[in-house]
Order: sequence, then C-alpha cells, then structure tokens
Amino acid sequence: MDQAIPVFVIIPLAASFLISIVGGRIGGFGKTISVLVFLSTLIIILTYLISGDHASMVYKIGGWEPVGNIPIGIYLLLDPFSGFMLIIINGMAFLSTVYSVNYITKYTGEKYFYTLFCIMVAGLNGVVLSGDLFNLYVFLEITVIASYALVAFGTEKEELEASFKYQVLGGMATALILFSVGMIYWYTKTLNIADITKILASSNDRMLIQFSELILIAGFGLKAAIMPFHGWLPDAHSSAPSPISAMLSGVVIKAAGLYVIFRLFFNMFAITWEISVLITAIGTLSMVVGVFLAIGQWDLKRLLAYHSISQMGYVIIGVGMGMMIIANGGNIALASLAITGGLFHLINHAVFKGLLFLNAGAIEYRLGTRDLNQMGGLFEKMPLTSGTSLAASMAISGIPPFNGFFSKLVIIIAAIQAKFYLLAALAVIVSIITLASFMKFQRYAFFNGTSQNYAKDGVREVPFFMSFSMLVMALLCLALSLLMIPAIRESFLQPAVDALLGNNEYFINLLNL
Amino acid sequence: MNLIITYLEIIILLPVIAGVILFFLPEKYRKIKSLAALAVSLMVLYYTVKLYFSGGAPGQINLIETGFLNWLGTSYLSGSSGNFFMLNLDNLARFILLLVAFFSVLILLYSYVYMDRKNALRNYYSLILLTLWASVCTVLSDSLFMFIFFWGFLGLTLYKLIKGHDEESSAAAKKTFIMIGASDGIMILGIGILWKITGHFNISELTVRTSDAIRFCAFLALLIGSFTKAGAFPFHTWVPDFAKNAPAPSSAYLPASLDKLLGIYFLTRICNDIFILSGWIRLVILILGGLTIIIAVMMALIQHNYKKLLGYHAVSQVGYMVTGIGLGSVLGLVGGLFHMVNHALYKSGLFLASGCIESKTGTDKLEKLGGLSRQMPITFICSLIFALSISGVPPLNGFASKWIIYQGIIDFGKGTGMANHLWIVWLSMAVIGSALTLASFIKFISGIFLGRSRTGLKKVKEVSWMMWTPMLILALICTGFGIFASKWIIPALFEPVTGSVTFIGVWDSSFISLLIAVSIILGISFYLIFSMGRFRTDESFIGGETNRRDVGFEPTSFYETIRNFGILKPLYGWAERKYFDIYDVSKIITLKISHLFSAAHNGILSNLAFWVLAGLIFMFIFLLI
Repeated sequence: MDQAIPVFVIIPLAASFLISIVGGRIGGFGKTISVLVFLSTLIIILTYLISGDHASMVYKIGGWEPVGNIPIGIYLLLDPFSGFMLIIINGMAFLSTVYSVNYITKYTGEKYFYTLFCIMVAGLNGVVLSGDLFNLYVFLEITVIASYALVAFGTEKEELEASFKYQVLGGMATALILFSVGMIYWYTKTLNIADITKILASSNDRMLIQFSELILIAGFGLKAAIMPFHGWLPDAHSSAPSPISAMLSGVVIKAAGLYVIFRLFFNMFAITWEISVLITAIGTLSMVVGVFLAIGQWDLKRLLAYHSISQMGYVIIGVGMGMMIIANGGNIALASLAITGGLFHLINHAVFKGLLFLNAGAIEYRLGTRDLNQMGGLFEKMPLTSGTSLAASMAISGIPPFNGFFSKLVIIIAAIQAKFYLLAALAVIVSIITLASFMKFQRYAFFNGTSQNYAKDGVREVPFFMSFSMLVMALLCLALSLLMIPAIRESFLQPAVDALLGNNEYFINLLNL
Repeated sequence: MNLIITYLEIIILLPVIAGVILFFLPEKYRKIKSLAALAVSLMVLYYTVKLYFSGGAPGQINLIETGFLNWLGTSYLSGSSGNFFMLNLDNLARFILLLVAFFSVLILLYSYVYMDRKNALRNYYSLILLTLWASVCTVLSDSLFMFIFFWGFLGLTLYKLIKGHDEESSAAAKKTFIMIGASDGIMILGIGILWKITGHFNISELTVRTSDAIRFCAFLALLIGSFTKAGAFPFHTWVPDFAKNAPAPSSAYLPASLDKLLGIYFLTRICNDIFILSGWIRLVILILGGLTIIIAVMMALIQHNYKKLLGYHAVSQVGYMVTGIGLGSVLGLVGGLFHMVNHALYKSGLFLASGCIESKTGTDKLEKLGGLSRQMPITFICSLIFALSISGVPPLNGFASKWIIYQGIIDFGKGTGMANHLWIVWLSMAVIGSALTLASFIKFISGIFLGRSRTGLKKVKEVSWMMWTPMLILALICTGFGIFASKWIIPALFEPVTGSVTFIGVWDSSFISLLIAVSIILGISFYLIFSMGRFRTDESFIGGETNRRDVGFEPTSFYETIRNFGILKPLYGWAERKYFDIYDVSKIITLKISHLFSAAHNGILSNLAFWVLAGLIFMFIFLLI
C-alpha cells in the first residue's frame, strides 16, 4: 500500500495534462476521465480505511533514505487523519464532477474546467499527504492557483472581481505562509515536519516559535477563511460555478486551511495554552459573526458562503477545546471527545454544505437566479432538489436524525463537560440562528407562493447526473449519523483523532526511526 | 417480561418500517396508503392496550441486553455505555403510549376522506406514522439523549405537516420550526449540564435539587423545551399560527393532542422525577401557568378566524395543566394529567370539526358562516359537546378536570410559602379563564352553527361517516369521562400513575350528572306539559325599515367591545403588532445585529486586507500580554 501513496497526486495530475491535450479532440473525454480518476482514488483510500490497518505509511520520493537519522528527501505520509481528509477530498471531488457532467454545459471551455479541477484536487491530495513543510506549501499553491481560475470561470464582471479579491488575499496568505516557513527553516535548518518537531522540542526560543506560529495561523487562517481573515470567501464561493463552490466550501477551506493548522499545531508545535485560547477565540468569533452575517443575505450562495465561515467555527472550537484541555493537562478522554466532535463536524459539513451548494446550483441551472426573492414554489416543480435541500438544511441546523445533530451534540456536550459553558451556550444560539436562516432558504425557495410564475418557462427537475449527486449526498447526510455507533466510530473517526493526539507516532513514522 | 419485550418490539418497529415504506410509495395510491397507515396504527393501539394491562413492575429495560438491537447477529453498540439505550416503562409511560396510539387511530380514520383530494399534503400518511413512532420512542426513552433525538425529530415532522402553499402558511411553518428547533437546542444544554453535575443522563437515575444557579439553569432549559412543545406562555406563539394554516387533521394530531401529551409528559417528568423543586420555582411555574390561561384566552376572544381561535385555546388550556402540575401535590398532578387527556380529546375534536366545516364551506372566517346546525347536525352536536366541555360546564370532562385543579389549588393554599399564600390568585386566574373560554366559545358555536343561514351556504351537507365517526367517538368519550370521572376514570386510569387521590370535600361526578340530567328532563317535561312551544315568530322590527335577508348580526362584532375596552385597547394593538411575540422580538434583534455586521462588509478590497493585518496585530498583542 505504501507504494500507492503518490497515486493520489499523480493520477489527478496526469489526468489534468491528458485532458488539456486530448480533451478538445475527443468529445466527453474530460468528464469521463475525471469522474473515473476520482472514483479510483476514492476506492483506493476506502480500501485503506476499510482494511482496518491504521498504521501510518511513509513514501520517500526518489527513495532517499535518511542519512544518520536526518531525512534528506521529500516524504509523503499517509496516516488515519490524512486518510480521513482524503476520503472527504476525493469523495466530494467525485460527486462534484458527476454533478458537473450536466451542470458545466452552461459554460464554454469544458476541457479547461476539468483540467483545472484535476489540478486542484491533485494539490489538495498533496497537501494532506505531505510530510514536508515546503512541499506542503507548493501543493497549497497548486490548489489555490487552480481555484483562482475556477472562481473566475464564468468570466463575467462579478466572477472576475471575486477572483481578483481572492487572488490578492490569497497572495497575502502565500506571503505569510512562505515567510513563516522561511523563519522555521532558518531556525531549524530543516523542512521535514518530524525533524522540525524534534528540533523545536529541544529549543527554548519561545518568542521566535510563537512569532512563526502566529504568522502561520494568519496565513492558513486566510485559506480557511476564519474571522477576521474571511474577506474573500463570500465573493469567491458565491461567484464560482456551483460544483466549484461545493468543492471550495466543502473541501478546500478544510484541507488547505484547517487540516494544516490542526496538523501543525498538534504534530509539529507543542500545544500551548495561549495558542489554544487564540485558536478557540477566532473559532468562536467566526462561528458567531458568520451566522449573523448569513441570516441577512438574500443571495442564496452568499448565504451559504457565510454559513461556511460559521460552521468552520464549530470545527475549530471543537478541536480548540481539545487543545485547551491538553494544554491544561486535563482529561485526555475529554479532549479526545471534543476533537472527535470537531472532526465529525468537519466531514459532516463537507457533505451538507457541498449538497447545499449543489442545490443552489440546481436552482440556478433552472431559474438563472440566486436571489431568494425571485424564487418560490419550487417544491412542486423540483421535488428532488427540494427534498435533498431539506435534508441538508436539517443537517446543518442540527436536527435529528441527520448527521449535523450528532456532531453538534458532541461539541456541545464536550464543551459542557469541560466547563466551557459560554461556548456551549454560543454554539446553541448559533445553531438556532442557523436553523432560522435555513428555514428562510426553504421558505423562499421552495414554498412561499405559487409556482405559477414558472409554468411556461419549463422549470422542472434537473438532469440525471445532477440529481444523482444530490441524492447520494442527501443519503450521506443520513448515513454519516452512523459514525456515532461505537463500532464504526472506532474504525473510522477515532483513528483520525488518535493520529492528532498521538504526536509521537507521526513523528516516529515520518522519521522512520 | 418476554411478552413485554415482544409488545415493545412491535410498537417501536412497526410504525417506522411502515412509515418508511409508505414514504416511497407514489402518491397516486393514496387510498391504499391511508388504509395501510390505519391498519398499522390499529395494531399499535392494540399492543399498547395489551402493554398497559400486562402488569409487571414498572422498570427499565436495556435495549442492548434484551437483544433488541442485536438482530444483525452482533451488537455494534456493545462498546458504548448501555445507559444510552435504556427504556423506561412505568405507568405514566404506558398511559401516554396508549393515548398516543389512540389519537393516531382517530386522526387516520378522519384523514381517509379529508386528505383524499388533489394537492393534499405530500407523504402525509408516512409523516403521521413517523410522528407516531417518534412519539412512542420519546415517551419510552429513559436516556435523555435518546429522548432528545426523538423529541427533535418530532419538530421536523411537525414542520412537514403544514403545507407551505402561500406566503402566510410558509411563514407559519418557518416560525413553528424555528421555535421548536430553538427549544430543542436549549434542551441539549440542559441535558448536558445535568450530565455534567450528576454524572447521569437517565431519567430514572436523576434526582436533582434546584439549589444553585447552574442547576436552576438546567431546569429552566428543560422547562423551555416542554413549554415550547406544549405551547405555554411565553413560547406559545407558534400554536395559533400553525393551527390557522395547517390542515385540520395535522392541527388535531400535533398541537392539539400529541404535542400536549408529550410536553406535559415531559413537564411531569422534570417536575416530579428529575428535579426537586423549590418554592420559588413553583411560584415561577404557577405565574407562567396563570398568565398562559389569561393571555391566550384574551387573544382568543378577539379572533375572527375560527381555526386561530382554537389555536389560542390550545394554548390557554395548557395553563391549567401547567398550574396543576406546578402545584406538586397528587391532587394537582391528577388534575393536570386528567386535563391533558381531556384537552387532547375535546381540542382534537374541535379541530376535526373545524376541518369538516372548512372542507364543506371553504372558508375559515367566522363572519362568513352561520346557521349550519340544520345542515350539519352531527358536527353541530359534537362541537357543542366539545365547546361546553372546554368551557368547563358540568357534567362534561372539562369540568371534572378543572374542578380537580381548583381543589388542588385550594389544598395548595394550606401550605406555607410565597406561592402557597397566593393561592387565591391562581384560583381566580383559573376561574376567570374558564369563564372567558365560555365567552369565546359562544362566539364559535353561534357564529358557525346558529343564527341565520347564509345565502352562500345553502348547499352545505353533513360530512361523510368516516369524518364524523372520530368526532362522535371523541364526544362520547368526553361525556363518559365527565360523568364517570370520580367513580371509574380517576381510579382506573390516573391512580396507577400518580398514587391514590383524596378529594377535599364531597364530589361524585355521576351524582352531579344525574342531578343535571334530572333537571334537564324536568325542563323538557315542563316545556311539553305547559305547551310552551306555541309561540309566534315574526320579522324583527327595525324602525319600519325592510329587513333585508343578507343583513345579519355577526356574533364576532359583539366582541369588538372587548377589543376597544379601555386599557385592553393598546395591549391588543401591541399584541397585533407582535410586540409580545418572543419569536418576532428575537427576529428583530437578530436582524439588527446582522445589519450591523453587514454594514462592515462592503466588499472593498483594501478593507478586507486591513482586517487581515488588524487580526495579525491583535494576535501579537494578545500574545505579548
């Protein structure tokens, strides 16, 4: 299996080159290849997880063995946390490309779309697999440059403006991250994450480490769009084509932003109280302010985009609380519960927010508008879109029996158990406002008035491939609830949490000691 | 014991399996779906009856140990603490189960005809069965986590049972679900706190004194949940809107019967099983109960829409139950629970009657109706019985339960404590509320059934037998419960739940009923013997003007006096502008904050870049301090 690790990067990357060369000549080449590519990567990672073998695996590019315990090559590492992220990335990529088969016919330049899509996913897979700080940065750039282009794919005024903002702020993020990576390299003389861990553990220059930590939080915070670094997100996520919005909201901000923050702060830096508080505080800020911004929106995709900020807040407070408990020397089981809640919410959010963006895309596909005021009565005309969006809305609002209920429950219970009563109360209040804003979406899009207006326009259910993706994701919204069942949690979610908590294991694996 | 497990398996699994299957059947087999749902609910009823009479000590059943969840061969849940899947099968739970199943049967019987039309609610039967399932599981769960799961799911089915076809009804659906969902979220907080401070989350294991602030918060959180579900002040505002816009069977099923049963069931649990209440909390509960009675009935008085009127009464009556249970004595508990049952009986009856009227006349405005008593005699008689019953006229059941609550309040006055000394206040609120209920039901009955027949309503006919049978059953039960209250009903149904009751003073409902029957018979015989029937009817004299046929004296207009009465006038004005509606007030506040934040998000790139730097600088400052 360990020889298969680079496959996650190579296959999509190769596919993107193939599509850009052959795609224009053979009709339907791009969509077929990209769907197959993501299906195959999804199957590979699923076999890894289902096999029950949670040992981490290292792939040394070029076969460069460490010399005297000092790693000299670029290492890729697949551990349960990376595997967990890979499932989200490739699963969502698969469903989004299936959806795009019908959806992207709206646009011209189909082959560029799939080319960019494959590059983006190759970069994301690289980010979560990389065990090398600079390599991680490179993969990150591959991802975001592809996504700049994808956001601007409509090439209208609005899309270009959004993409421009995204590029400027993304450029700031790049500068910050590169600066921090440079600082760390200057200080430790190495780029291998495990090696850095070893050197940082024996250093006592807190000032410098904290400085680079903060710069990293700001840089990856920009990628993860947490407050106050969220400025680009509402524009970019609402202007992109819907499958791309689903990828950006469901995957990119998690894999390129949160994953790296969690990975570095658990497995590279030592967890300190100040940083934990800081991370939890910006998580709370995102959670609360994001939802207030969302509820006032009338542009459907912008509403969803602000909710992404808010829901990322839940993930961050879940994990942040875990960090605070660890930093305090508290109960590890409780920290594990909080982190489980955070990661559970992360995968849930990928599914339901992806689905919501696909629903928004379906409505836009038929109606040509994102304005909630111009919709209404779609319940009769688009029953599948309506049903799936109800499932997703209930999931994001935390209504049983959908998955969001359980992850929010775990986060709230963990907050109360750890005596963060204020956080628990805020989580509940934000959940209520989330419910209110999704009731608004349901009301104005699907009910509220008659569907007479569309009688002549031929508004009907979307084509097969779009429906298929939405249906699968709606079923996933229900099925992910099963992650609460202990036997399934132990084999799927818990290893990811343990991989974060057991920082020694990561370290040892990467160094191959 | 094994027999009980079998019963439970059927009661729990049958509705959910049938509900999911019906969900995937196409809508054109509506008749088949309806009959299938009816058959399922009848089976559930049969087994709940068997369960109720199966005896056996009340106790907890662990789903994992009993092999309930082991049907895949091995239990995937064995790793978790068994307490998560604990069922509680005491007499209260069995009793509520029986009622839940009974109302499901009635509503499904009624829906066979009512829902058989074009653009009726989609997946109605599946939703009713899922509601039945969730309610059964809610009542049975001992573990609070299982409880909140099913409790929350009920909110979703409630939302789906309104058809959001126009602006008003979709707004009502939205409001309903937001309020219910919000209360569920708050309940999770309460449950979490209980688990934190006691280490338990099973109802049977919890006994908490409301001594300090954190325990008080837990109590309050759970109280909000039960109040919102049952529809008590100040979390009641979804009920009238729902009642106005939802199809009649939906209103009869959820807000009128099941939500009351569950809300009051949970109130009983938190007041009696989970918490030991202090005097101050009793005071709060009694104040809220009293306010619920008065405020809702005052709002009911001025309604012109009979469904909304019924909705406000569905709130007002909750006040009695809350008051009864808040008293904390056996008498109060019996009164509260008995009133809960009675209310479910007559209020679902009234909603069903309103459904009959609406389906036959096509309007829900009192002004447009009148004189239907001749055309719809059975509906009229049933509605009259329900109306008299809700107004607390002896010998009907509403009187019996209110009477027990009054006794409970008087008995409560003997205690020492702030709440006890104020017993006269609670009593007068309850009595005045009852009188005002009567006043508003005079409007309901006379507005719809009495008075001059309207020209547009000449062709109205009685509804089909499948629609009036449930009403008739309910009316008979209302009468029967009233007449035999003290003799059979209380000892047979309620004493197993609450323990034995001693009434203060002499009260024998059957004897009173006999007296009333005798007096009515006497009256009729006088009427016949002295030939009082020979009177002359003539046109009303209105100053020589010709009496036009289309002029009527709408009963609703008499109630304008109340609306314009001194101090009430501004209060009603504010109420109509939604100043007292907790939903609208919080909505305004939320949107204000939202606009505040939105104003900062003008999308100018330099601002966005500035925030990034500001955030970075702030983080540096934070770390330096």
